[in-house]
Amino acid sequence: MRGYGQLTLAQLRLFWRNKKVLFWTLLFPIFFMLVLGSFLGNGNNTMVEAVVIDQDRSSFSKTLTEKFADVQGLNVKEAGELPTAKKQLEKGDTQLIVVIPKGYGEWSLSKDKKREAPQKVILYYDETKINTSQLGLSVMNQVIDGISKQMTEYRPVLVAESTPLRSLDLGYIDFLVPGIVAMMIMSNNMNGVAGQIASWRERGILRRMQTTTLAPGAFIAAQITSRLMLNGIQALLLILIGYFVFGTQVNGSWLLLIFFIILGTLTFMSIGFIIASLAKDPEQAGPMAGFLSFPMMFLGGVFFPISSMPDFLQPVVQVIPITHLTTAIREIMNLGATIQELWIPGVVLAGWAIVAFTVSALTFKWE
Amino acid sequence: MEEILKVENLVKVYGEHRVVDEISFQVYKGEIFGLLGPNGAGKTTTMEMIEGLRKPDGGTAAINGYDIVKEKKKVKEVIGVQLQSTSLFELLKVKEIMQVYASFYPSSLPIDAILGDVSLTEKEDSFVKQLSGGQKQRLAIALALVNDPSVIFLDEPTTGLDPQSRRALWDIILRLKKRGKTIFLSTHYMDEAQILCDRIAIMDRGKIIALDTPNGLVNGLNMGTAIEFHREAQIPLQTLESISGVRKAREKEEWVTLYSDNLQATLTDLVSLTSEQGIQLVDLRTRTATLEDVFLSMTGRRLREE
Repeated sequence: MRGYGQLTLAQLRLFWRNKKVLFWTLLFPIFFMLVLGSFLGNGNNTMVEAVVIDQDRSSFSKTLTEKFADVQGLNVKEAGELPTAKKQLEKGDTQLIVVIPKGYGEWSLSKDKKREAPQKVILYYDETKINTSQLGLSVMNQVIDGISKQMTEYRPVLVAESTPLRSLDLGYIDFLVPGIVAMMIMSNNMNGVAGQIASWRERGILRRMQTTTLAPGAFIAAQITSRLMLNGIQALLLILIGYFVFGTQVNGSWLLLIFFIILGTLTFMSIGFIIASLAKDPEQAGPMAGFLSFPMMFLGGVFFPISSMPDFLQPVVQVIPITHLTTAIREIMNLGATIQELWIPGVVLAGWAIVAFTVSALTFKWE
Repeated sequence: MEEILKVENLVKVYGEHRVVDEISFQVYKGEIFGLLGPNGAGKTTTMEMIEGLRKPDGGTAAINGYDIVKEKKKVKEVIGVQLQSTSLFELLKVKEIMQVYASFYPSSLPIDAILGDVSLTEKEDSFVKQLSGGQKQRLAIALALVNDPSVIFLDEPTTGLDPQSRRALWDIILRLKKRGKTIFLSTHYMDEAQILCDRIAIMDRGKIIALDTPNGLVNGLNMGTAIEFHREAQIPLQTLESISGVRKAREKEEWVTLYSDNLQATLTDLVSLTSEQGIQLVDLRTRTATLEDVFLSMTGRRLREE
């Protein structure tokens, strides 16, 4: 392997001296973490926006409004007119309208409520947003039911006792950071290798090496070694930033995490070599790599869970390598998954790496 | 003289076009051998086949007895190459890039010594991107020397350089020759070929049309002295060739060139002839015939179309 050590060293020097590229390749994912993490960070505790229209304006209706406001997960505002409130609901500013009709106070004062017709509290909800509306409706019903029982002095004979158990308290940032790490491994290696090799080929750098006794294997091995070092460090740095700055959890083994980072790097680097061989010039290599990495970024579970992808895309989602890299990194970090639990992503990624490496070795050309 | 490179009936075909068309020649140990010809003559293709970068479509070549196709690895060990257009890693230092290339070979020369040879010692800690055009070209030659090669291939080494840098590079090439290196260079500058080369092969349209020492080429044509002038009015070529001492007359645009073996007689006759006809001679000059004239007389074209 003549030339291997010196070429590895040279490549590391080139990385280090090209600090602009180094800076942007690291800043870009951190920027993603910051922006997405802070915008969507509270996505876990859904708030239902509700509007209360108090047409009764008695002390009793006030007490009821306060009871609604006390409920967790419900953001209650008071409003004057029903038509304005309905418009708000149509615009999506609120998901629930509660109307306390006139006469609620009088009804509350009456002695024998059981004999009278039941008093109504009218609820309007947005039927296009089933999740939040259902949540709001059930909360409202619970409150109203409670009052109703209290007023009729109802004693329950059967109660359900619910005891909350604490599960892994995972936020969106815990979901996001592993996705971003996988995305960075993909783009740095695939786009990076494709761009650099295509440009070296165009500039005749590879041709000049071809006139020496350097073996192609030594050249490729040096590329792999130096990129593994650089991208391994970058990925770990990103996880550490997530860990210390954003409080991302790392519940699994760091060693297993490093294993998958290496596997992902090898896979995407080999794909990068193939792209570099197929591209006629560096101007072509960039868009070609982008054409592959861009859809993978959205399909492969980087930003959204794979399960949220439509059914007809699932076969694609299950085949592309990025899916398995995000899954593996995410399950190690979030759930502390072990190698036994991750054998499918491991095998699929290794398969991709072997096939891509073989193809890249066969198609590699100096010029 | 010991033969170090032997080329026999080498052919390269691109599509229907025979870029290199059955050329044969030998290069001897310790000489500077030049391939002179216009752009597109097939010089670079010839060199790159010998260097192992392109596969010949016919013929053979051997360096130090090693076949360029069958014993590629052996060949690579004994040659040093400077390609026509190579860019190097811009963000490496001169010394570092020398170390990288030295590591490609089973054995290599000390880097300091090579950098001294090409006058780059002071620049060893500079980044490649900080070097001037001439310095980059000297570095390219230094890289061709790391494995202590028997034959050094230089493809148009001075193209694009300013006159001063060209002269500096010529000095380096001549120094290498003094050390016993064999140098194979291509150029489209006839002055460069004339100054540097021991023997020159003139190449045109894939063929070698002449091969000799620079003096041999010029004298072989028996062209003597060239007389050139700018003419104001038409003089028939037959009239010009009837002037005493003139072997050949040529016309290109408004320039007339007469090749004469008797300068004195020709000039006297020319002046009286033009005086009789009332033709004004402008920019009259004489010079000895050059490789440019050789090329012109053999192909009817100039080496470089200006």
